[in-house]
Amino acid sequence: MSDAPANRLSDDLLRPLLQTSWRFYALVAFLGSIVLMGLGTWAYQMYNGFGVTGINNPIFWAVYVTNFVFWIGISHAGMVITAILRLVNAGWRRPVTRCAEAITVFALMIGALFPLIHLGRPWLFFWLIPYPSSRQIWPNFRSPLVWDFFAISTYLTGSVLFLGLPMIPDFALVRDRTTGWRRRIYGGLALGWTGTPKQWHRLESAMSIMAIAILPVAISVHTVVSFDFSMAPVPMWHSTIFGPYFVAGAIFSGIAGLLIVTAALRKFLHLEEYVHPVHIQNLGKLLLLMSLLWAYFLFVERLTVWYGNESAEIAVLRVTQKGSFAPLYWTMVVCNFVMPFSILSLKKLRTITGCVIASCGVLIGMWLERFLIVVPSLGHKYLPYTWGTYRPRPVEILITISTFAALVLLYTLFVKFVPIISIWELRAAEHPSPALLPAAAREQALGETQA
Amino acid sequence: MAHRWGMAVDLDRCTGCGACVAACHAENNIPTVGPDQAGRGRAMHWLRVERYWEGDFPDVRLKFRPVMCQQCDAAPCEPVCPTYASHHTDEGLNAQVYNRCIGTRYCANACPYNVRFFEFFNPQWPKPLHLQLNPDVSVREVGVMEKCTFCVQRITAAEIDAKAGKRELKDGEIQTACAQSCAARALVFGDLNDPDSDVSRLSRSPRGSKLLEDLGTLPKVTYLDRQTQV
Amino acid sequence: MDRRDFIKLTAITGTSATLAGCGNPEHQLIRFVPDEDIVPGIAEWKPSVCPLCRAGCGVTVRVMDADVDTVRNGQAGVVAMSVAKKLEGQPAHPISQGGLCPRGQASIQVTYHPDRITHPLKRSGARGAGEFKEVTWDEAVAELVGQLDTLAAAGDQTSLTYLSRPRCSRRLALAAAFLEGFGAPAPIGFEPFSEDVLRRANAISFGHEQLPTPDIARSRFVIAFGADFLGTWNSPVAQNAAYGRMRQGQPQVRGKLVQVESRMSLTGANADEWVPVKPGTEGVLALGLAHVILANKLRPADAAGRAGAAIDGWAGGLADYTPAEVETITGVAAMRVERLARELIDFHPSVAIIGGAPLAHTNSLFHALAVNALNGLLGSVGEPGGIFFTPQAGPQPSALSPQPFDKLSAKVLLLDDVNPVFGAPKAWKVRETLEKVPFIASFGSFIDDTSVLADLILPDHSFLESWVDSTPESGSIEAVTTVAGPVMKPLYHTRATPDVLIELAGKLKAPVALPWKTAEEVAKSQPPGAARSSALREPQGTPSSSRGERLAPRKYSEPTFDGDAATYPFHFLPYASQAFADGSTAHLPWLQEMPDPLTSAMWSSWVELNPLTAERLKIAQGDLVDITSPYGVVRAPAVIFPGLAPDVVAMPVGQGHEHFTRYATGRGVNPIGILAPATDEETGALAWAATRVKIARAGDADGSLIMFAGEMREHPHGHETR
Repeated sequence: MSDAPANRLSDDLLRPLLQTSWRFYALVAFLGSIVLMGLGTWAYQMYNGFGVTGINNPIFWAVYVTNFVFWIGISHAGMVITAILRLVNAGWRRPVTRCAEAITVFALMIGALFPLIHLGRPWLFFWLIPYPSSRQIWPNFRSPLVWDFFAISTYLTGSVLFLGLPMIPDFALVRDRTTGWRRRIYGGLALGWTGTPKQWHRLESAMSIMAIAILPVAISVHTVVSFDFSMAPVPMWHSTIFGPYFVAGAIFSGIAGLLIVTAALRKFLHLEEYVHPVHIQNLGKLLLLMSLLWAYFLFVERLTVWYGNESAEIAVLRVTQKGSFAPLYWTMVVCNFVMPFSILSLKKLRTITGCVIASCGVLIGMWLERFLIVVPSLGHKYLPYTWGTYRPRPVEILITISTFAALVLLYTLFVKFVPIISIWELRAAEHPSPALLPAAAREQALGETQA
Repeated sequence: MAHRWGMAVDLDRCTGCGACVAACHAENNIPTVGPDQAGRGRAMHWLRVERYWEGDFPDVRLKFRPVMCQQCDAAPCEPVCPTYASHHTDEGLNAQVYNRCIGTRYCANACPYNVRFFEFFNPQWPKPLHLQLNPDVSVREVGVMEKCTFCVQRITAAEIDAKAGKRELKDGEIQTACAQSCAARALVFGDLNDPDSDVSRLSRSPRGSKLLEDLGTLPKVTYLDRQTQV
Repeated sequence: MDRRDFIKLTAITGTSATLAGCGNPEHQLIRFVPDEDIVPGIAEWKPSVCPLCRAGCGVTVRVMDADVDTVRNGQAGVVAMSVAKKLEGQPAHPISQGGLCPRGQASIQVTYHPDRITHPLKRSGARGAGEFKEVTWDEAVAELVGQLDTLAAAGDQTSLTYLSRPRCSRRLALAAAFLEGFGAPAPIGFEPFSEDVLRRANAISFGHEQLPTPDIARSRFVIAFGADFLGTWNSPVAQNAAYGRMRQGQPQVRGKLVQVESRMSLTGANADEWVPVKPGTEGVLALGLAHVILANKLRPADAAGRAGAAIDGWAGGLADYTPAEVETITGVAAMRVERLARELIDFHPSVAIIGGAPLAHTNSLFHALAVNALNGLLGSVGEPGGIFFTPQAGPQPSALSPQPFDKLSAKVLLLDDVNPVFGAPKAWKVRETLEKVPFIASFGSFIDDTSVLADLILPDHSFLESWVDSTPESGSIEAVTTVAGPVMKPLYHTRATPDVLIELAGKLKAPVALPWKTAEEVAKSQPPGAARSSALREPQGTPSSSRGERLAPRKYSEPTFDGDAATYPFHFLPYASQAFADGSTAHLPWLQEMPDPLTSAMWSSWVELNPLTAERLKIAQGDLVDITSPYGVVRAPAVIFPGLAPDVVAMPVGQGHEHFTRYATGRGVNPIGILAPATDEETGALAWAATRVKIARAGDADGSLIMFAGEMREHPHGHETR
């Protein structure tokens, strides 16, 4: 491994900002049209009435709420990776920190959109905001949906900070390296950063505080999201396992998302020198760990329900495992456990490609898991006369697809305007490759810049 | 003493005829959703008559059970509504304030009895069916939840009447539309705080039980079991 | 000029914007001055009678103001009118007793139906094409007068036929008087499920040619053979009220209900004991019970009187009807027969009821007579808790002959709210017969399968806009007559049919003299010799006189089924559905959307199959099934129905209209169509339970079965073990 000169590092990592190919415009146009289609579909839904979805009596929550939970789950990528890894000073995190934090912010933004999309009267969503209103009532603070509002807005604020703070030195770098309008804009964004030790110290303190603070916020966010379900007396919702289960699942899907994004960026932005196979493989190992954890939670939940033999819960268990939802259920098990376990536990298969395949499987599996939490339980509550089925309709499918496109679009735009790998953090390690332990020791001197 | 409205359903009298269901539609401006929407599970029967088969031919039995909003005293639908659209009144009713509802549908999920319904589209009444609409009851717009109110419009009208006439309400003076239409007198509505009212008396019957009692919702509808012949 | 006229003047000549803020001149509505005194927001309650079936439930109608779209002097606008808002049963009415059935509640939708005929119509296209153009009343009446005058001039008065839904009202008396004065035959009544066999049996057994009034409220034991008395049979609201009292109306006393039938009806669902029986053998069971009572000397044989004498072998103790023999014929276990017979005596007073499918076989009269004999034996006739007959003034019109249509030689046919094209089997070729009638006029409010063939439509008011009266033949122990005026002004340019008939009578070249001048007079008039006392009326004349009936005692003969058992292995049971009864209320949207009590189906037709049969034929719920009789085939989705014997298939009646407003047109299938033209041997009534069919799976579920319920059982997996 040879040291890339510092300039080469900057050149490589700034290239996407300074050079734009037609492929970028094509991609943005393509993704943008899908996103516009999604917005148009939402407008169609608002205009024609919520009945254009597949929601019915008794299944009042389905794909939109699944998407909500799924995206909030994905958003845990950043928090976990960067906060936890930052806290334990795992050096190999450096190339992926900003990736992860960006995923967090965008996934949160998308996820937070879904509570609006799933409302019957979305133009009144602002009643969830606690402001002194002429109606002389506050939001109902006992409602988990209001907790959602606070939790998600707090997490979003924190994540934006957590993403934005480390970008300041990089913005300064770009400012210094460019001219014209770019210099002005990035100069503004750099907030007058000059790289003095005092500024470095402040930055590091802020980031340490955020790293610690964001952890409980993130855990609480998905716990609060899980409360949307566990606080309702619905069979197989009303369970104490939901908090930890959701958080574990969120981290699980977050890592998978991060892995895919990292691998994609590595390939499309030619960051092979900065994102090494071992980075992806380490993420893969984390993914394996979470897969085992997820499988443990699934097993514990299901064993308890089965053993407890409470008739309403057994009905739900039966319909997911043996009944009409069985194909989805077993697909989920394969995607979330069987496949990742097989691929990621064998070193030979734990290649970048292997990890990406496993991660794709996990994303599918985790989406299905959310769906299978929401829909079968609602369709099989306590009075069998009221049981029902659900099938998604085109509006729900189109909006779902458009959110994936939205994430990629946001990411594409982000990558165009911000260096995707934190240049100063890489430089601070002196070495793009985190594999060598001595480099880790040098991270103590995080405040020093290198020529 | 404040009123506490409740109902008793005598399953030994109920024949499953469905007059109560039709009466409720007529009284409460419930939209007819049509075959396509009904096929997609959006029929809005605030009151439904559940029927369950038991056994197999030839020892087959059927039972009927009219189910409406139980106006639970510990209603799971109330804490979860972010805008207080679902809230408890002083007279023990679970009120649904249409104007506050933003349609999160959380209340419907939380309700174990599945008695809450959603307006999936703006309701249409091809003229002149709109002339039948009851002016004492709102017509709900798209995106809000609705459910049985124990014919609160009738309760309110009777209370206003009694107040104006400076008299007390008599037991049986207020009848919900379903109870009024039931020829077999299976449905009884009244004040649970009046120990002499029919509904209180029936609620104390040894045949009485509550639906899904073990969930702790404290419903205010007492179901009197069908008696078996000696 | 007073203030009212001044306002009228300004209102008609001026306009007022009713939509504020828009400023769009197109939205300015003309508001006409109301024709009546209206206090906005205050409800009045006015009496009326529900006309949807013959029970004659007294209703009270909530009337409030509303803005009605109307056209006056060629200008469209709105006018405030008092309109009906809701129907309730009249609390003091002997029939409704404050309650209603779902059809009664929905009847208000007749008045406000969007497809109601609003003007007289004249056919403008080919017959049956459904193309009509509006004409004035003067033109319509003139045309009808012309048709009748032509008949009279040719001496063809007997070619005038008046076909009506049988009513228990003075309106039919008006029609009868008009026809008599004109020289035409008496009105013909037609309805599916007409229960004429029961009337005939009651005439033979008890001297009353009418439906009975079982005193269920005071009964301690009711055994019903096929009669869905809580659903659609006879007088459902009164019977529901009585049932409630039978169950829980008296302290320490709870009546028992036993239902004997081949398909579990709504009533059967409420029974303490449901006894499946082989179709067409119900009377044998009744006599088996009588046999046990007689054999054990629990009641004297002569208690049954004339009703007993109508049964062959009665005096000999019904030796042919031992429990073992009964078991062989009916499939009901001998021990059960013994026990039920003893319970009939132990739980006193007891009463037996028969109606529905048992009276729709080729041997129906026997079954009815057998049950009548049982009642006689039990001593229930005229006793509290037993069987009564509402005092009547005169005979009710009924279907004159088994197939009133192939003998129809009418040149002018008047249709009064009747739909034989829908309600008769296709084998009767009603449509073909009607198509040959040169001139058809209809008084109904809707275009349906029959009135679409009309040449002239003179739409009646809806019942809420009319003078109505009802003198039901059953449902009350005391005689009841209900007369009520309109609760609201007519919405449209319709006219009360009695008024039209009276005008018609007066405008003929040879006018018919009628004792009434208006519909109001007709409704308020009393029939000659109206009964006033509550005692049973003595039979007039001997039962054998009017129709030459045999007084010879009947014995059981096996029912004949159309279709050989090898090719057509299943018994076919169409039944009056709770929502639509005989199909005449299928146009009301509340009833289409009301879940059927036993299947929870809405907006659908379906076929009921026993679960084992369905499994054997590999038919899942919702799969399409072809039901084929020797006379036709219908296709409908399957519903798994445990309350059926494996060799029985049932279908609800009500859907399958080719024409009947937007809500019922083209929806579902009509099982009556494929029925065999089998008839009861003695009375000639349609034996609608005598058809055999075969079943074939026709395809996967296509979404035409719409059900409200999820699961059919409260413990869906109770059968399974883990």
